[in-house]
Amino acid sequence: MDTLSRTARTTRVVITAVVCALLLGGTLWGSDDDFPFGPFRMYAGVNPPNEPAPDPRIEGVTADGTVILLDEKRTGLRRAEVEASQDAYTADPSLLREVLEAYEKRNPQAAPLVEVRYVNRMHEIHSGRPTGKWTDNVLADWRVAR
Amino acid sequence: MSWLFAPVPKARLALFRTIVYLFAAADLVIFTPWVRGHAHASAESYQPLLVARLLHLPRPTALIVWVVFWTLLVTALAAATGRYPRLLGWTVFGLYFAWMLVAMSYGKVDHDRYAYLMALAVLPTCGPARYGDRTPSERAGWAFRMVQLGVVATYFLASWAKLRYGGPEWMTGSVLARAILRRGTDLADLIAPIPGLLIAAQIGIMAFELFSPMVFVVPEKWRLRMVGFFYSFHLVTIATITISFAPHLVAMLSFLPLERAYDWLRRRFKRSTPSEPAAEPALTG
Repeated sequence: MDTLSRTARTTRVVITAVVCALLLGGTLWGSDDDFPFGPFRMYAGVNPPNEPAPDPRIEGVTADGTVILLDEKRTGLRRAEVEASQDAYTADPSLLREVLEAYEKRNPQAAPLVEVRYVNRMHEIHSGRPTGKWTDNVLADWRVAR
Repeated sequence: MSWLFAPVPKARLALFRTIVYLFAAADLVIFTPWVRGHAHASAESYQPLLVARLLHLPRPTALIVWVVFWTLLVTALAAATGRYPRLLGWTVFGLYFAWMLVAMSYGKVDHDRYAYLMALAVLPTCGPARYGDRTPSERAGWAFRMVQLGVVATYFLASWAKLRYGGPEWMTGSVLARAILRRGTDLADLIAPIPGLLIAAQIGIMAFELFSPMVFVVPEKWRLRMVGFFYSFHLVTIATITISFAPHLVAMLSFLPLERAYDWLRRRFKRSTPSEPAAEPALTG
C-alpha cells in the first residue's frame, strides 16, 4: 500500500478546497476570461422559443462570379472567433482582409477573390422547432483592394 | 475524508497516464488542429485571458506557437511511456496549459477540458507505476478523485451556468434548435421537427446535469452504468450537433477499472499466441 503522510494529506485537502472554491466562484461570478475556472456556459444562453437563430458565414467571390464558402477548413479561422468579430466587420468591412489572407495562405493555388462578404442567415424558429424558413442578410461586403 | 484518498491500483494509474498523455499528442494533431492557425493570427485579434495577463505572457508569435507545439508533442509522447513521471508530467502540464492559452485567447473559450487539465495537473503527483502492479495507492487515489470531481463539476456546474445565464426558461427555449440549425448533422435535421422532442431533451439535459453528483453515492454497478450513460450522452451530441468533448471523455476514464480491461486484453492475447504456430500449416497447405 502506497500511503500518504499526514502533511501530504493536509496539503492535498487544502489544494482540493482552493480548487473547489475557485471553480464555484467562477461559476457564480466569473466569466470566460477566468479560464480554466470560468463558468461552464456552453449552450447556456437565453434563446426564447420563437427567436430566430443566426447562422453566419463568410463567402468569397472570384472574378468569374463563383461563390466560395470561407469556412474553418479553408481559412483555419474558427467559426466562433469569426462571429466574435461580427460587429467589427460590419463597422469596417475592410477588416475582412484577415479572412482573405488566411484563405490565400492556405490555398495559394486558388483563383483570386474579388469580393469577400459576411452573410448572416436567420433561421425561423417556432415553439423551439426550426420551421425550415430563412432569410440572408449581407452585414459586410468588401471589394478586394489589391 | 478517506473518500478523497480512496486507494486506486497503480496499474490503473499507469494505464490512465498513458492514455492521457497519448491524447495530448493526438489533440495537437487530430482533435484541435485549428490552434496552430493562431500562429498567423493578427495582433489585433489577440485577447489574452486573465491568467496570461497575470503571468505577463507574451503574445504567441509564430515562433512561440511552433516551439510549444513540437516540444509538447515530443514530451507528451515521452510521458506516455511512464518514465520520469514527475519531470515529464509537469513539463507536459505547463506546455499544454500554455497551448490552451494560445487556443482560447482569440475570442472563443471552450468548456470541454476542465477535467482533462485537472488530470494533467495531478498525474505528476502520483509517482511511478507499472501496468501490472496492483498495489493500492493513496496518491493515485486522490489524483483520480480530483479528475472525477472535475468531470462531475463540468456537468453539475454547467446546469448552474444555464440557470445563471438562461434561467429556468432555458429548458423551454430554443437552444437545441439553434444548435442544430448552426451545426446539425443529417440525423439532427431528421429529428429536429418532431414536436416537443427538443424541449424534452433540454429538460432531460438539465435533470441529468443536476443529478450527476449521484455518481459518487450509488453502488459500483450503478456507478459504471451512470458513466456509461454519460458516454452515451456525448455519443448523441456527436451524432447530432458534432460536438465531441473529446478531452472530457478521456478524463472520464478515471471512473473505470481500466486494469480489468487491460487484464482481459492480456488474457485474450496470451490465449491466441500459442495457437498461431498450429494455424500456420493449415494456412500454407
